[in-house]
Amino acid sequence: MSERLILVADDDEDILLLVTTRLRRDGHDVVQASRGDAALALAREVKPALAVLDVGMPGLDGLEVLAAIRADESLAATKVLLLTAKAQESDVRRGYESGADAYVKKPFSPTELSQRVQALLGA
Amino acid sequence: MEIRRYRVDGIFLTVGLTLTAVYFAVPNGGPQSALYDAAGFASAAAILTGVRLYRPRAPLAWFLFALGLFCFAVADILSTILEDPPIPSAADWVYLVGYPLLAAGLVMLLVRAGGHHRRAAIGEALVFTLAFSLVQWTYIVDTIVDGGGSPTRRAVEAAYPGMDIVLLAALAGFFTTAAWRTPAFLLLVAGVVPLLVSDEIYGLTSSSYTTSSYVNAGWLLSYVLWGTAALHPSMRELSEPRPNVEELRLSRIRIAVLTGALVTGPIVLLIQDFRNAPYDAWAIAVPMIIIAVLVVVRLTAIMRALERTRLRLVEADRVKDEFVALISHDLRTPLTSIMGYSELALDDDLEPPLDEERRGYLQVVSRSSHRLLRLVDDLLFVARLQAGRLDLAPTILDLREVARQSALEAQRSAEAKGIELVFLGDVPVEVEADKGRMFQLLDNLVSNAIKFTPAGGRVEVVVSTNGSAILEIRDSGVGLTAEEAPRVFERFFRAEAAVEGQVQGTGLGLYIAQAIAEAHGGTIRAAPRDGGGALFRVELPLATGIIAA
Repeated sequence: MSERLILVADDDEDILLLVTTRLRRDGHDVVQASRGDAALALAREVKPALAVLDVGMPGLDGLEVLAAIRADESLAATKVLLLTAKAQESDVRRGYESGADAYVKKPFSPTELSQRVQALLGA
Repeated sequence: MEIRRYRVDGIFLTVGLTLTAVYFAVPNGGPQSALYDAAGFASAAAILTGVRLYRPRAPLAWFLFALGLFCFAVADILSTILEDPPIPSAADWVYLVGYPLLAAGLVMLLVRAGGHHRRAAIGEALVFTLAFSLVQWTYIVDTIVDGGGSPTRRAVEAAYPGMDIVLLAALAGFFTTAAWRTPAFLLLVAGVVPLLVSDEIYGLTSSSYTTSSYVNAGWLLSYVLWGTAALHPSMRELSEPRPNVEELRLSRIRIAVLTGALVTGPIVLLIQDFRNAPYDAWAIAVPMIIIAVLVVVRLTAIMRALERTRLRLVEADRVKDEFVALISHDLRTPLTSIMGYSELALDDDLEPPLDEERRGYLQVVSRSSHRLLRLVDDLLFVARLQAGRLDLAPTILDLREVARQSALEAQRSAEAKGIELVFLGDVPVEVEADKGRMFQLLDNLVSNAIKFTPAGGRVEVVVSTNGSAILEIRDSGVGLTAEEAPRVFERFFRAEAAVEGQVQGTGLGLYIAQAIAEAHGGTIRAAPRDGGGALFRVELPLATGIIAA
């Protein structure tokens, strides 16, 4: 498993590129997926240190991918950061309850995201 | 073309009014009669001309008018020729044919016009007509029916005031339609009214009637105005169908008509009693009972319509809030790109570095997108609030700490504006509150104060306690008037000074602050400060400590 490898999954191309660009500038290796099911398959293949998952995705949504990752023993070391456009507190709570390591609301500042990622991977 | 048409009715009216005046100047007999008869035929001809000129959709109504007035004109000639005829004479029969024709024409226009609640219109016209018939019966018809002469004679004499009722009923119906404001309709009314007035005077004083009586002026005027109505270009609109109006309005005219109808019976009773004159109890009581029932039915219908309108408004409000919530959510995704990419573009490590000009442009994009996000968040918050979905996760927290941090975070924007921002608080003040919401409340109040305070001003954030937790934000800004003070918390309210000084804002910040304070069982109020500036004071209940865990 690569220490610096991060899986980014978002169905919005622009956001996918935004996150990828920021994380690559920080020196991370990034693999991309634009669907939930593809993201899960990719995660099982590359075993990333961190998965940045959009909540609203086709195929499987972010919460479902998260649940599958948590259920997969080979991915026990993979941390998960959820991205969502839903601003409601109840969604945030649901995100944490389903076992996400971090939760970032859209719209987010790339710098803030980068700091959250650093904190997750540094620990 | 348009100007020429307006002239036609103008000329007809001018000539008609002049001849009405001349009528009284020329000697009795031949010349007067000739003038009078000419007026009748001229009005019928004017109506036919009007139909040719404007081609209304329902010409039949206008043909009925022309025919009715033509009957009147023929009857005028007959009564001149017959000279003091017995009643009923041939003239009477022709006159009496004219009235239903005119009334039928009015009803046809009324039915075509639409733009009203048909049942409501009929009800109101009925109320008005009943009240009029009550008076008509008591003062005219009753005397005729009980008077002398053959049954035919009495029937014909009573038919005149009866016909007036029919004509008035048709006219009354129009007032309840949307068509009644058209000039042609007002001219028609002006044409029917002198006809009725003269008929009434004649009915009351028929014994003293002479052919040169001033009563004739009314009938002459009626001819002139009826013809003018047909020559006015708006006669065409009168027969255009109009869209039905949804809501029922209680206009002053409507209230006056209904009230007038309701008090007619008692007033007639009082007058007859005062004059020691006879009256027919049935003729007064029966119409009054019907009027009372109709008015109550009308008012009930109006109340129901209002209730339906209220329910529609409630529903519209709900749909609006859902819409706002949906839009706010959908706006967040593109905003993520705008904010994120401007931040990436402004990254200092980027090669080659940005020149200052472009950096400035991007900073504007970045600032604006942050402002937009703030607005979207506020709208979303308000929508959720309106929908009653404000979730609170209260914990025991120190309000002083929250206020101190908020002041610290606002320090930068205060400094940027040259404002001194001071935090004052000696003791911890524990409240049971949602931390995020408390920060939001503080942030709204502090940024509001900074926004309205000019450079060189001072903003104080003060936390204290006296049985409840007290948070005060004092500024030395443009202030607010005592009248504005309670209103600043209304949704979308913008103070005079804010509008004049072009201070940006949506009028949502303080509304949200109030909602948060109240959701925590607290209060918020605003007041002008002596010497300028505004004071916002929030009071929250102190934490009881029972649920502290």
